[in-house]
Amino acid sequence: MEANNILNIKRLYLFVRRQVLSNSGSWLVAFGGIAGVLLVISLLVAHFQPQNLSGMTGLYFSVLFVGGYVFTAGIFNELHNPQKSYQFLTLPVSATERLLGGWLLTGIIFPVFGVLAMSLIVLLANLVMNFTLDVTPFQSVFSPQSFTALKVYVVTQSVFLLGAAYFRKNNFLKTILALFIISVVVQIVVVTTAWALFSPFTDGGDGLNIGPEHLSPRMEAFFTNYIPTIARVVFWYLTIPFFLITTWFSLKERQV
Amino acid sequence: MVQIENLSFGYTKKQTLFDQLEMQLEPGNIYGLLGRNGAGKTTLLKVIAGLVFPRGGICRVEGFESRKRIPAFLEDICFIPEEYHLPSIRIHRFISLNAPFYKRFDHEKMDWLLKEFQLLREQKLNQLSFGQKKKFLLAFGLSTSARLLLMDEPTNGLDIPSKSQFRRVIAASLTEDQSVIISTHQVRDLESLIDPIIIIDEGRIIFQQDVAGITASLSFEVLPEIRENRQPIYYEEGLGGFPAILPNIDQKDTRMDLELLFNGVVSNPKKVNQAFKA
Repeated sequence: MEANNILNIKRLYLFVRRQVLSNSGSWLVAFGGIAGVLLVISLLVAHFQPQNLSGMTGLYFSVLFVGGYVFTAGIFNELHNPQKSYQFLTLPVSATERLLGGWLLTGIIFPVFGVLAMSLIVLLANLVMNFTLDVTPFQSVFSPQSFTALKVYVVTQSVFLLGAAYFRKNNFLKTILALFIISVVVQIVVVTTAWALFSPFTDGGDGLNIGPEHLSPRMEAFFTNYIPTIARVVFWYLTIPFFLITTWFSLKERQV
Repeated sequence: MVQIENLSFGYTKKQTLFDQLEMQLEPGNIYGLLGRNGAGKTTLLKVIAGLVFPRGGICRVEGFESRKRIPAFLEDICFIPEEYHLPSIRIHRFISLNAPFYKRFDHEKMDWLLKEFQLLREQKLNQLSFGQKKKFLLAFGLSTSARLLLMDEPTNGLDIPSKSQFRRVIAASLTEDQSVIISTHQVRDLESLIDPIIIIDEGRIIFQQDVAGITASLSFEVLPEIRENRQPIYYEEGLGGFPAILPNIDQKDTRMDLELLFNGVVSNPKKVNQAFKA
């Protein structure tokens, strides 16, 4: 297959443009509504407790996370209606371009706009209520913690991107349910494995009582050093590629 | 242009709609795909468009495997379904957002077709009537210059003047390298347009002939009575006699009655096809 049939930057741009301008009405209403509510809350805080305005960042990021997940889960909405999906699937765009277009909009452009909106809200609230251009609350939006929160959003939203392509209806709720089921299964597996490995160390009570005295130095190093490192690598470096690849297959194999 | 080899398809594992289907379509024709309800007409169009995937076998359009849905293939097909949803944007916005994906999009043709269908560029798509939406999709589809247009029941929802307008527009705007496959059960609407005729039944192609071949091998007559020495291939009881399909032994020049042919083929495909071997 020619490379041009896999990824073409012009086509990717056209696809993103089509998605934005076709849905701009509903997206702007949702974005404006949420920003409006946050602005009102921020105005009240700026007036009554101006010292707490910096603390609003936590609320902004919670809204950004939930809003971003809902937005991501609906990014391939056209796929889930048979009367719309024919147009989406026969549009001359490759599965890679559909995937990258959806990911750019939900994983990159959305958080950038979200942060800009937060900054604007903080500035406006301070300016309107206190007539000051104090940048202290504004700085809280760009703190290292906020940057880490943004990175966590970019990683975790890829799960919802797969949900957007894979499920046919109620994509957000179904993704949440799938995550819940998977976490329960993982916990059961971990507990069962721990029980099987360490049951000789039980102290006769109901639970496990594992202390360093029960582990060899190599085992202890494995649990305290390797497991957290592996978890960090998996979360930061493997989550996005894994979910993007599975989303790509989901889009490629999608039928009406 | 379209090659279907050994294709099998079913919506569920237990139910098979197509089994080892073979079909070959040449460019420059307006194929009429006829069949009863549930015969698989729409599904066949979806297979060709790459919207559903075959269980086995292969479907190629211009050498591209349709299930891969690569952009070069998608640029060359345009599927107009029977039921569709159009976004709540204006016509000019829809064109500006979707036309750039098609390298050969003909803006002049689009303008001409909009004028022909009395559609204004400022109109909102979701405020158009069903028939107007269909006309818009048709105008857009024809303007993409796609080599293969797939239309599912295109005359459904069109009023009587619009049906003749539809025929006129299709005939006037197609180029030699373009082909159309029209799936319909309203044979009277498109009788004068479609050639060759493909009839499918129970997931099989039971008839595929061009109009010249049909009228050369069959004659369509209204018989006053059914005589033993001149048994028709198929006949129906009509008001002024018996509309019948007969072997065209005397090379008569008769007008094809597509509805009669369809009924004849569906009721006894073997007998009708036999006349073409003689």
